[in-house]
Amino acid sequence: MAIAEAVLNSYIGLDSERIAGVDAVCEQMIRHWTEVMEDTNPLYSDPQYAKNTKYEGVIAPPMQVQVYTMNPLWPKPERDPNSMESLLKVMAEEGYSTIVATEQNQEYFTPMKPGDQISQIMSVKEISAEKQTARGPGYFVTFAYKFINQNDEVVCQQTFTILVYNSIAAMKEEAK
Amino acid sequence: MIETKPVVLNWNDVKVGDELPVHKRQITAALVSGGAISATRDYSDVHHDYHAARRAGADDIFMNILTTNGLIGKYITDWTGPAGELKSIQLRLAVPNYPGDILELTGKVSKKFEENDDHLVEIEYLGKNKQGNHAKGKVIISLPIRG
Repeated sequence: MAIAEAVLNSYIGLDSERIAGVDAVCEQMIRHWTEVMEDTNPLYSDPQYAKNTKYEGVIAPPMQVQVYTMNPLWPKPERDPNSMESLLKVMAEEGYSTIVATEQNQEYFTPMKPGDQISQIMSVKEISAEKQTARGPGYFVTFAYKFINQNDEVVCQQTFTILVYNSIAAMKEEAK
Repeated sequence: MIETKPVVLNWNDVKVGDELPVHKRQITAALVSGGAISATRDYSDVHHDYHAARRAGADDIFMNILTTNGLIGKYITDWTGPAGELKSIQLRLAVPNYPGDILELTGKVSKKFEENDDHLVEIEYLGKNKQGNHAKGKVIISLPIRG
């Protein structure tokens, strides 16, 4: 059962409030990142090397920007749900409750240094018509994110597309 | 710390069509779940809970997009050295990365250009595993010039 277009479209283009990440950029989180990625870039991990570059010290991997604004597992943030959360709730109520990321584009502007406070402003950019995908019926939803530091400099602009689908419908089809 | 001199790739030495070295990465459950929880703070259950992943129609827990993005960035700066400055990463996901897969990354210089005093190259990369294309897209990075 597809969701009314007007309902979906009502979520498009509303900027969320500016939400600050829980942790400031820090060497520990950078190390946890480089450990998993096996990234040996000395800009991220070697203060001696980084000191003599234009950054004058270590920087966080630019790809790590969104990590600083991820919702913690606990406690749940005390704020009104943003347009992304509200939209996903409406879709889940209609049976489109499973999510898979399909595309991400990041453009980097200002490097992140330990101590920086990253915040994000996000909005729903686009919602496709209902598509019949290999995983089941669903919608491609694209979000736009802007990541900003404590000096109001834009660190990164990102778009992020997810497929929100009904996995139960696909499984029922398979079982027939 | 072992003192090693980092690689420096100069813009002058790069040509359109140049191929990046092939990089293979073994995908383990630790990389998938650690990539989600430890490296990227993503607690979505499909990245650490086998049963949740099965319910979502996947064969096993699968890598989150932020970890894939991190591996792409690393792949590119491994080639340029730390003087390469990432400007953008475009990433399209197709088949998932499951534990037991091997991700094979390849890339090719698709453009070389100058913009706002930056000397830039664009790389078209592809990440494949045994099921097909996991990730593909383009990265733009600025490089130092000689002189």
